[in-house]
Amino acid sequence: MSEKKRRWTITRRGFLIGAGSGAGLLALGVGLGLPRARLSIADRLDGATAPGGLEATPDLWFELGETGKLRLYLPKVEMGQGIHTALAQIAAAELGVTLDDLEILQATSRVGPQDSSGTQGSASVITSYEPIRQAAAALRETLRSAASEQWGQPLDQIVQEGASFFAKGDTATRLSFGELAAGQREWTVPDEVTLRPTAELTLIGQSVPRIDIPSKVNGAAVYGYDARMDGMRYGASAHKPSFEAEFVRLRNESAVAAMAGVEAVVVEGEAGFVGVVATTRRAAWQARDALDIEWREGKRWSQREIEELVTVGGRGGVAIQREGHAEAMFGQGTISAEYRTPLAAHMPMEPQAALADATGDGVRVWVSTQMQARTADAVASALGREVGEIEIIPTYLGGGFGRKGISEVAIEAARLSEAVGVPVHVGWTREEETQNGYFRPPTHHQFRAVLEKGRVTAIEHQQASGDVLFAYFPAPLRFLFGVDFGAWRGGRIAYEVANRHVVAWRRKLPVPTGPWRGLGLLANTFALESFFDELAYVAGTDPLSFRLAHLNSDAAHVVRLRAALDAVRALSSWDAPPAAGRARGVACSFDAGTAVALVVEASLDGETPIVHHVWAVMDCGQLINPDTATAQVEGNVIWGLSSALLEQATLAEGRITNANFADYPILPPARAPEITVQLINPTDAPPGGVGEPAIGPVPAALANALFRLDGKRRRDLPLV
Amino acid sequence: MKLTINNRPFETDAPPDTPLLWLLRDELGLIGTRFGCGVGLCGACTVHLDGVAARSCITPLSTVEGKAVTTIEGLAEGYEGLHPVQQAFIDQQVPQCGYCMSGQIMAIAGLLAEEGAVDEATLAEKVTNLCRCGAYVRIRRAALQAAAEVNS
Ligand code: FES
Ligand code: FES
Repeated sequence: MSEKKRRWTITRRGFLIGAGSGAGLLALGVGLGLPRARLSIADRLDGATAPGGLEATPDLWFELGETGKLRLYLPKVEMGQGIHTALAQIAAAELGVTLDDLEILQATSRVGPQDSSGTQGSASVITSYEPIRQAAAALRETLRSAASEQWGQPLDQIVQEGASFFAKGDTATRLSFGELAAGQREWTVPDEVTLRPTAELTLIGQSVPRIDIPSKVNGAAVYGYDARMDGMRYGASAHKPSFEAEFVRLRNESAVAAMAGVEAVVVEGEAGFVGVVATTRRAAWQARDALDIEWREGKRWSQREIEELVTVGGRGGVAIQREGHAEAMFGQGTISAEYRTPLAAHMPMEPQAALADATGDGVRVWVSTQMQARTADAVASALGREVGEIEIIPTYLGGGFGRKGISEVAIEAARLSEAVGVPVHVGWTREEETQNGYFRPPTHHQFRAVLEKGRVTAIEHQQASGDVLFAYFPAPLRFLFGVDFGAWRGGRIAYEVANRHVVAWRRKLPVPTGPWRGLGLLANTFALESFFDELAYVAGTDPLSFRLAHLNSDAAHVVRLRAALDAVRALSSWDAPPAAGRARGVACSFDAGTAVALVVEASLDGETPIVHHVWAVMDCGQLINPDTATAQVEGNVIWGLSSALLEQATLAEGRITNANFADYPILPPARAPEITVQLINPTDAPPGGVGEPAIGPVPAALANALFRLDGKRRRDLPLV
Repeated sequence: MKLTINNRPFETDAPPDTPLLWLLRDELGLIGTRFGCGVGLCGACTVHLDGVAARSCITPLSTVEGKAVTTIEGLAEGYEGLHPVQQAFIDQQVPQCGYCMSGQIMAIAGLLAEEGAVDEATLAEKVTNLCRCGAYVRIRRAALQAAAEVNS
């Protein structure tokens, strides 16, 4: 063990708290900063692992009370992906305890490990796996050395059994973690620890039941919409009638203030903010609807104008993949096709909601957010306070899907609470949720390819997209990147073609666009996997075999993708003909360290596609919780089908016109197919993403099946 | 107005056109009944009125007087532990984000109480609650498990 020792002291609460951790907490916001995010995105596209950036110090992750209950603070938020259970499994496995020995708590923007990257991009296990094991091992060894000091025995004579230690050969000495902690005043934390060998991590790879599920079947789970405090009021605020409108003035402040139940009308003209506070939610909404505001309208964009902006070509294209000389090979006989995907909304089942309590000492905000650190910054700057005064406390999320990045509603609730001096809850209506957020950007894709003797010898993908992650990068990096890493996710070509060329254009749009489940993965995979299917058809080759024929090398991700395709071939009985009137389509992707291959069986009822069965094979590297991973694949299949069949946000007069489920339908239960999932679990691959990768191949696999039914290529989403 | 909610009497002076959802959530703190769309399209707010599933966001208080309202918090009353539908949702590890789940469970429990035996086709026709996380396959599996148990 190194000479450098870190000393800890026990606080009066009886918890293990690292010396100076108060200051440490605030400084740790840089833990997983942007260069690493960039690296991790680029790396993931190449099938490598992302480096972990979270601090591994145990005092941030763990608190040990005298009761022996070990508290684990998790910086990632639970939005249905089972991340709390998965991370707890990793921690418990490395500690050598059971899940029951742990109490799982959500870290806030002030308490627990800090993570500036938030919960997104299927990156949580990838980036937390090592730090959490390091922290758990450090805690375990710290406790071991406490036992060694207390009993005057050398370290190697201290035996661990679950959440307790005893001196070798003398089980009477046994003390639980909590008892050990109670007797210790000064702690020696090893600077370097040895992680357990993989064989000992028996909890990893087990389908343990999710810890959040009981509260989700008895109604007790608390989402942002459910956060409450004594004496709280309900708030609502006005939103722009179109994307470019600007606030001028409120015409009827006193009339609204006099409405039943209304306690305050809050106008912050410079911020363009008008809100109301009332005794009931209904009164708040009614008052908000009654606000008579003069707006200065900007350009009111139409659907067609936006689509025209998102077209490839012209200056500013950035090559994101280039091998060989594809352009030189195009000429006569070149096969080409173009694809489009539309603006789409997230439609999380829970609309934005937050409860804020602003006092002289600080502002606490309970909110369903994927990004507590960024939301803290946004609230601080809106209120003109120091970020250290803000605590963002994530609740469970009623769906995230990228929509709950910066939670605008947290700012609204905080403004209103500060103005009236009591806690204020703001919950958006479905229409507010849909119209005032950001969207999945529209995309345009142009492909060219040369086919020689049944093999692709050159291929080019030109892609244009509205922004996905661009706004999340600081200006110097934006300049450096030139294009948006999020937008081209899934856009590079894994197939082994000697001449490959992928160019991306960033299109800045007047409609706010941003991250959406899988970022650019769904759009790019739809286009790429549809086009590759077209090439297979021209080559006259079975589309699954055609894909395999272009995945020959022994590069790790190629081998895994090939194995996934082979597995889905068997799983779906690909080589046996489907029932009469039905057809199958295949598609695959490698994303976030995860290979997915997927077969869709469909028929047509007139023009309406009916999806009967989806077979999905996923290799996400080392599996943490197979049942949760399976559930994520099932969810991604439904989500992908919803996008493929139904979803398109429509725009007129500068605003979204389909704002509720009546005219923005999402896949209903009656259209859900049978789904069969198979997981491949290579022991030597590090954990990959689980929450999004399976989304990519869904629309293309369906479109490819439909083509085999009626010979029509559907090159625009939605497919009908 | 006098109401019966989860077998307990309750009196309110909220306007009679107030949707039941907001009374449950904001006056009674029964947050398990969720808000998703406010117009009867998603089912997140499903409760039982005299045992029959109803969407509380479009149910004005005036129509509830004299009826027994049951919410997810009261569903298991009279059962040992959980209601069979809730248990099936745990057994099948159904919820993802969980936000739609109170409504899903109430819709299925209501259907089973009304119809007894249900098959896949009846489920597809009668349970129209949306789930954005896409847990449909497991919802179906859990509903069939509960249906089998209720009938045995
Ligand atoms: S909130 Fe009642 S049906 Fe959607
Ligand atoms: S579990 Fe998230 S909406 Fe159904």
